[in-house]
Amino acid sequence: MNRAIGRLSIVCLVMFVILLGWVNYLQVFRVNSLAGEPGNIRILDQALKNQRGEIIANGGGPQKVIAESKLTTGGIYERYYPDPYTFAPVTGYDSIFGNTGIELSENKYLNGSAAKLAIYNFKGLFTGHSKQGSSVYLTIDPRVQEAAYQAMVSMGQTDGGKPAAAVAIDPSTGAILALVSYPTFNPNLLAPISSAVVAKNDNALLNDRSQPLLNRAINDTYPPGSTFKIVTSSTAFGTGTVANQTSTIPAPQFYRLPGSTHVLTNDGNSVCGDGHPQIILAFTESCNTAFGKLGARLGGAALRSYANLYDFNNPNLTIPMPVSPSMYPKVSDPAETAISAIGQFSDTVTPLEEAMMAATVANHGVLMRPYLVQQIRAPDQEVVQSTAPAEIRRVTSSTVAADITKMMISVTHNPAGTAYGTASPAVANGIDIAGKTGTAQNGPNNTGLDDAVFTCFAPATNPQIAVGVIVQGGGFGADAAAPIAVKMIEAFEGQH
Amino acid sequence: MSALSDPLSGSGLSRGDAVPVPLPRGRRNAELAMLAFAVAIMLFAFVNVGYGLNGHIPSGLALYVAGFAVLMAAAHIAVRWLAPYADPLLLPLAAMLNGLGIAMIYRLQESGRGSNPGIQIGTLTSHAALTQLMYTAVGVAGFVGVLAVVREPRVLSRYTYTLGTIGLVLLAIPAILPGSLSSVNGAKTWIILGGFSVEPGEFAKILLAIFFAGYLVSKRDVLSLAGKRFIGIDLPRARDMGPVLVVWAASLLVLIFESDIGTSALFFGLFLAMLYIATQRKSWLIIGILLFLLGADIAANLFHHVGDRFTLWFHPFANGNQYGQLAQGLEGMAFGGILGTGLGQGEPFRTALVQSDFIMTGFGEELGLTGLMAILLIFGLIVQRGLRASLAVRDPFAKLLAGGLAFSLAIQIFVIVGGVSQLIPLTGITTPFLSQGGSSLVANWAVIALLMRVSDQARKPAPQPIQDEGMTQVVRAA
Repeated sequence: MNRAIGRLSIVCLVMFVILLGWVNYLQVFRVNSLAGEPGNIRILDQALKNQRGEIIANGGGPQKVIAESKLTTGGIYERYYPDPYTFAPVTGYDSIFGNTGIELSENKYLNGSAAKLAIYNFKGLFTGHSKQGSSVYLTIDPRVQEAAYQAMVSMGQTDGGKPAAAVAIDPSTGAILALVSYPTFNPNLLAPISSAVVAKNDNALLNDRSQPLLNRAINDTYPPGSTFKIVTSSTAFGTGTVANQTSTIPAPQFYRLPGSTHVLTNDGNSVCGDGHPQIILAFTESCNTAFGKLGARLGGAALRSYANLYDFNNPNLTIPMPVSPSMYPKVSDPAETAISAIGQFSDTVTPLEEAMMAATVANHGVLMRPYLVQQIRAPDQEVVQSTAPAEIRRVTSSTVAADITKMMISVTHNPAGTAYGTASPAVANGIDIAGKTGTAQNGPNNTGLDDAVFTCFAPATNPQIAVGVIVQGGGFGADAAAPIAVKMIEAFEGQH
Repeated sequence: MSALSDPLSGSGLSRGDAVPVPLPRGRRNAELAMLAFAVAIMLFAFVNVGYGLNGHIPSGLALYVAGFAVLMAAAHIAVRWLAPYADPLLLPLAAMLNGLGIAMIYRLQESGRGSNPGIQIGTLTSHAALTQLMYTAVGVAGFVGVLAVVREPRVLSRYTYTLGTIGLVLLAIPAILPGSLSSVNGAKTWIILGGFSVEPGEFAKILLAIFFAGYLVSKRDVLSLAGKRFIGIDLPRARDMGPVLVVWAASLLVLIFESDIGTSALFFGLFLAMLYIATQRKSWLIIGILLFLLGADIAANLFHHVGDRFTLWFHPFANGNQYGQLAQGLEGMAFGGILGTGLGQGEPFRTALVQSDFIMTGFGEELGLTGLMAILLIFGLIVQRGLRASLAVRDPFAKLLAGGLAFSLAIQIFVIVGGVSQLIPLTGITTPFLSQGGSSLVANWAVIALLMRVSDQARKPAPQPIQDEGMTQVVRAA
């Protein structure tokens, strides 16, 4: 019988070896895949027990914490946004259902799970500290961000809350100084631990017809209107079609579009100089006939290639949140080309793209990659990662950029300029602003309210900030959009 | 771990049912030292639970640990008196598991109570750990009782058929009783009388092991006879198939009427192993395994609850299952990782019935892979000591009984730990010594008593013939 018992012993040994091997497989090799199972409550609970890193606006002026985690009862941390509405388009939200904004794109650093943080977490094992996320330092200048949001709020109080968005960029680095969307939401509503509360608030926000969750600054596009004349001018100078800003171009009072019965006019059917103005005057007064005719001469292909240089038609831009592409379509019909050259037809831009256009001109023709994250710092303040400014490409020569700069200065300095009344040094506390207005027609047969657009940079001779503003249905560009940009620039210059 | 590598039994293998090598000493002091260690582990576990939950030493610490220590001391004294040559490892190993089980049940009972973190477990009363300690007292009393009554293993063989009948009746009662008197958490394996409930299958396992041992000892010669030879295997004679078919049918009935594939597999495995030890015929094993697979396959197709277990096995995280006990148990084990969260610091309360069927996932979560492997090795050692006693003892009845009990323990561990960890389809059976519940605890203490009785028999020094008295010899009559 002992022979059989011996064999059964081997069977027992095999069973125990299989069990030991299996639990090793489960608790060592399948740990990550099991942790990643949807709805793994333990992982969610653990995340609540770890202090999530702060998000800090560190782009200028006094540093400002815009998202932090506060200890509540039961050792659980809850996300808190001290100035929720102003910074929501930047921070996004951190909810038990999911994240958006920086809370999403930098989630691994904020929750401490990034591979680069392994060493800090390992130290924590011995010092007894719970896992702590790293802080994300943003390029946002809280003064500029607040100025833009306040301007939109006070405008909203008089006009009933027209959707608006503004972006400010440091032209020489691409650092995003402000990223504002209005109307916006309170991310604190989505921070609680109670799924019932979050679901209710989330539902209310999703059903809100003003679309507060939409980040208009990067994820909504609008017709650029006359601000696109910057691209048209770049094409004209760059291709040598127009020699420089003093060259004259034809500017009839009425321009019948080629092969069409449609007649293009200037604002209020006005004349543009003597019908053969210098391009700087046509730009200053924003003559549609001059730039429409110029566009038809340049052709759709050339305009599209310059638009692409300005980063139109790029679906892959991230800041690190993904940015909806600004579009300049393929056009061959001369009439459509003429309209597209003045920023109508199917042209669409994000407010970010508006700022990038001005920033390119301000940075002597070189477009820098826009970015929000300046630095990531571990809990011990050591820098884990930092962003180095990077060039996307040279868009125009510095000569062309200088010509366009002169034209943009004229827009605000020449009493005939479209933004003289709203952005001249006299209005803007002596700051020299170079800008371009846009008033984009909207809706079927252009019956909708015009979108107001303004793109600019300052100081004109030594640019430090480039701003793009769009007010949906804001009417004439200079009236609605330019004052917001001026307030942002004033805040940046330390004036209020 | 295998008895093959054991120096004591190594020689026995080649000699068939050979003479054991008795040890000169019982090593009871070693047992006492290890027992003290087991109690110390329980003490540490309780302190750990308190610090993990709320940063304080549990208020009932002295009661639990002192009570447990007294019980183990009593068991130890009883062994010194009743089975002085018994294996010194079995009692400390069982004590270690029993103590860890009480600590874990205390940890689960405290979850979410007072200001403790976690969620209160609805299926666990606020005095579950105390109840478990009381069951331990009953278990130790049973342990001493078995050692006292069964002074020689062979005594039991006199009652082969009586005990076998009682075992079958116990097994059958829950199947016959209405659900209100036999069903707890969906398992129809209980007898509920008033506020008191017993799982008779736990005791039936021991009684049937005794019956199988007695039956097989008397019939082993007949069963060993070869019939036809088929693909190199000696088939038994058709007329000898009767008992195998009866046990197979009984295990299938358990499976069908009690929705309990685990218990069914356990009984059938126990019987097959003992049949194999008795006859040394592989053909019995092959026939038995084929019969069981056939029965399981038929049951899986005929009965939804069996088929559902397979679906759950393949898709534990499918929609609707992800908050089920299997998914939660697995996520808990993964959460514990290599070192575990520490007692009181994980979330085992997320797993339904973590105090009984799923207690190993609770240990896996809070003590980690390290703790889980330690517990598995303790079980492995108990099985090994049981098999070693079986190898060493001379009496065929005791040999069969110890071998069968040790092997059934191994199957039980494999079925429940494999089940809760998704290695095999989940079946609800208890984890010996750890799971909450009196029946399992008392029955397993009785198993330990029987294994110690057999090992005492094996290690007892043979009475020395007194050479001076010439022809006079000591004759063992029993």
